[in-house]
Amino acid sequence: MILKRRLFWMVAILIAVAAIVIPLVSSNYMLRVVNITMITYICVLSMFIVFGMAGQISFAQAGFWGVGAYITAILTVKLQLSPVIAIFASVLGTGLIAAILGLALFRLHGHYFGFSTIGVVMILNGLFQNWKPVTGGADGIGGIPAFGIGSWEFTSEMNNFHLILVIVVAVSIITYIVQRSALGRSFMAIRDNEIAAKCMGVNSYKTKIIAFTLAAMYCGIAGSLFAFLTSYISATTFTFPQSALYLVMLMLGGYNTLAGPVVGTLLLMLLPEWFRFLQEYILLIYGLGVMVLMVVMPDGLIGGGKKAYESIRKRGWAKQPSNDIG
Amino acid sequence: MNLSAKEAGQSSPVMILDKLCKRFGGVVAADEISFTLASGQIHGLIGPNGSGKSTALNLISGVTDMDSGNVILDGETITKEASYMRARLGIARTFQHPRLLKRCDVRTNLFLGSDLANMKKHSSPFTLEQLMEAAGLRLDLGDSITTMSYGQQKLFEIVRALLTNPKVVLLDEPAAGLNTKEMERVEALINIAVKNNAAVLLVEHSMDLVMNLCHVITVLNFGRPIAEGIPEEILSNEAVIEAYLGRGRSA
Amino acid sequence: MVLQLIIAGLAMGIVYGLVAMGFVLIFRAVGVVNFAQGEFLMIGGFFSYTLTAQLGLPMGAALGVCALIMGLFGIFFHFLTYWPLRKSWDITVIISTIGASIALKEIATLLWGPAPLGVDPIVPGLAKFSTVSIEWQFILTIGIAALLMGGVFMLLERTYLGHILQATAQDQYAAALIGIPVVVATGLTFAISALITGVGGLLLAPIFFVTTTMGGITGLKAFAAVIIGGFGSVHGAIIGGILIGFVDTFSGAYISSTYRDAIVFLCLILALIVRPQGIFGEKIAEKV
Repeated sequence: MILKRRLFWMVAILIAVAAIVIPLVSSNYMLRVVNITMITYICVLSMFIVFGMAGQISFAQAGFWGVGAYITAILTVKLQLSPVIAIFASVLGTGLIAAILGLALFRLHGHYFGFSTIGVVMILNGLFQNWKPVTGGADGIGGIPAFGIGSWEFTSEMNNFHLILVIVVAVSIITYIVQRSALGRSFMAIRDNEIAAKCMGVNSYKTKIIAFTLAAMYCGIAGSLFAFLTSYISATTFTFPQSALYLVMLMLGGYNTLAGPVVGTLLLMLLPEWFRFLQEYILLIYGLGVMVLMVVMPDGLIGGGKKAYESIRKRGWAKQPSNDIG
Repeated sequence: MNLSAKEAGQSSPVMILDKLCKRFGGVVAADEISFTLASGQIHGLIGPNGSGKSTALNLISGVTDMDSGNVILDGETITKEASYMRARLGIARTFQHPRLLKRCDVRTNLFLGSDLANMKKHSSPFTLEQLMEAAGLRLDLGDSITTMSYGQQKLFEIVRALLTNPKVVLLDEPAAGLNTKEMERVEALINIAVKNNAAVLLVEHSMDLVMNLCHVITVLNFGRPIAEGIPEEILSNEAVIEAYLGRGRSA
Repeated sequence: MVLQLIIAGLAMGIVYGLVAMGFVLIFRAVGVVNFAQGEFLMIGGFFSYTLTAQLGLPMGAALGVCALIMGLFGIFFHFLTYWPLRKSWDITVIISTIGASIALKEIATLLWGPAPLGVDPIVPGLAKFSTVSIEWQFILTIGIAALLMGGVFMLLERTYLGHILQATAQDQYAAALIGIPVVVATGLTFAISALITGVGGLLLAPIFFVTTTMGGITGLKAFAAVIIGGFGSVHGAIIGGILIGFVDTFSGAYISSTYRDAIVFLCLILALIVRPQGIFGEKIAEKV
């Protein structure tokens, strides 16, 4: 308990310090990288919910990210609605679409659901790419205004940084709460043993849909933030490989804890920036690195770190398990 | 050892199984299985391997769909209900090989049980401390499940089942693979269930446990009930002896 | 016109079939989806460029050399992605193959450059049948692919080696118990899968440009073919591939060339909803 409280304050202080320091020391370019990283983190969190917790592989997440972005773009640019309405619409709209898809697709079991999500992202991408009257087709949608509440506008990179940071913190807290709730436990029960879950009163069909919808809503808000940040969106961003990237980030960081998405996203988004001199080879190293890491640390860096920590601790304390069977 | 519990326990029927039938292709797994479970009673379900005992549990808990027959719980026919619904209505079970959440910690696994209890209207007489004590498990809530031995995992699964505050507890070979001390703990847990008026359906191969604990025993062979009665009657029943063929028991 | 579409559809379809077959062979053997399968196609395409345009080999020789190299590559790939993770959770192998697909694309970019490469047709010119003229390369693609598929079938059904591969695919543990060296069987399966997919790339190369992205979409469409045909069924993969080839070609011509990809995946979802086990697949129940 004491450890948890200390951890909480450490994280809170870290975030507060980051909120103040990062904009001061970073160039506009670096700040943009940070902003995109945070938006990506929200999408990786969505993968954490649907796959890390509920065990359902979904390649649709980048598609939902796009849905969120396009809803905001369409509402602000074509319908001239306020950014606040747009962000809410993105969250709710993406959630609604996911819920409807979930109703149909969770009738499928095991691998088949995952395969269908490949279809979903490909179809969504096809729509983004070709539905000219609504999504602008290959031209995309430009001129998306900055986010604003009333007369308060978030035009600069730093404004966006603070806006996105607030949402990141909020979404992380929501995820933390879900993880420790009965809903979160029902997700994990489905992941680890669906039959046991059902025999423990979990309506797995409905619960999977809830997980899928919640995850999609995370992508929805991430998409909206992305649209406001970059003021131009196009279909080439919201693709199957992008979804695969979220999955990889989750697995690299660790799929079983909240710290996993943080580590995974930071690693894959910021490392390329720090190793710019390896520019040409970056993707190659990334691909090979993923392959190696899966062999060496299948629980991700956090999971592997925990195991290493446990084995060091056990050796240090010579701890005996205290059960008296036999 | 526990025949006095027969008098002590309440005896109102809580679950009625009416002619449950199930075929898998050409194999008849369940052939008009019928019996009644009463609250506070331990009902044994025995039979040679392949006689349909696990199938019966799967049909009752809703894991397998039945071809025909009815399951009635507290007067309500729940035959059409999905397994999660039956769990919410008060059926809890364990499995031959423990179905625990291997990637979650002890807390998550246990609270999954109490989450179900919280869904029910009446408060639960089962407490975590009492159950863990009876099971002999001293675990930290943050521990990983995988540190437990097989026997501990089986006991853990029974604890989880009882935490749900069930009306009916289905136990699928809880003693299989356990040593004597662990079997004693299984008995202790079953007694707690019975003391709190749950009905226990015990599928077992360990005759010691069955004869000691059960108030009533139903014997299955090839999916069909061939005998039902108190332990002494079953031991001397010719049809039963024949079904087991050569498994002589000194009574 | 329709005949030309049919031939083109059949040619595309049979190549999808080769890739789909590649997917299924690996899945049946080790139970994992190989997300780098499309990149096998890409590598085959690049090898075809190197062998014909750079080294000047005639098509027949190029075919043989390409097949051999792809087979060896498959074994190499097997030891890099599957073998170290054979006892781990499925998703780790999937992630590893995703990493491999990225790495392969980058290696291709580094070795051959980012620009699309053109390859001469296997056999140039048109075949003339009374009023209709069809490109020879389509006919040859269909022919070579069919021969290759037939060859794999013969191997699996009629030879001792094939039976070993099938046995290992059905139950690795039992196969090991009766003395089959599992690593040889799984390695060989990957080799065959890479070989046929790579040759598919070689056949496709002259029809489209060879690019680092050619594996991506084609791989996914072949994957859709596997599912529609029946996940785990080799016949299903071939039939599914040909079906997808037709859907792809005909919807591109008659409905919309821009939506053709989306339509393929719409078919995938519809197929999953209507009949998830595919045309030839079987429903698998879980043992409790």
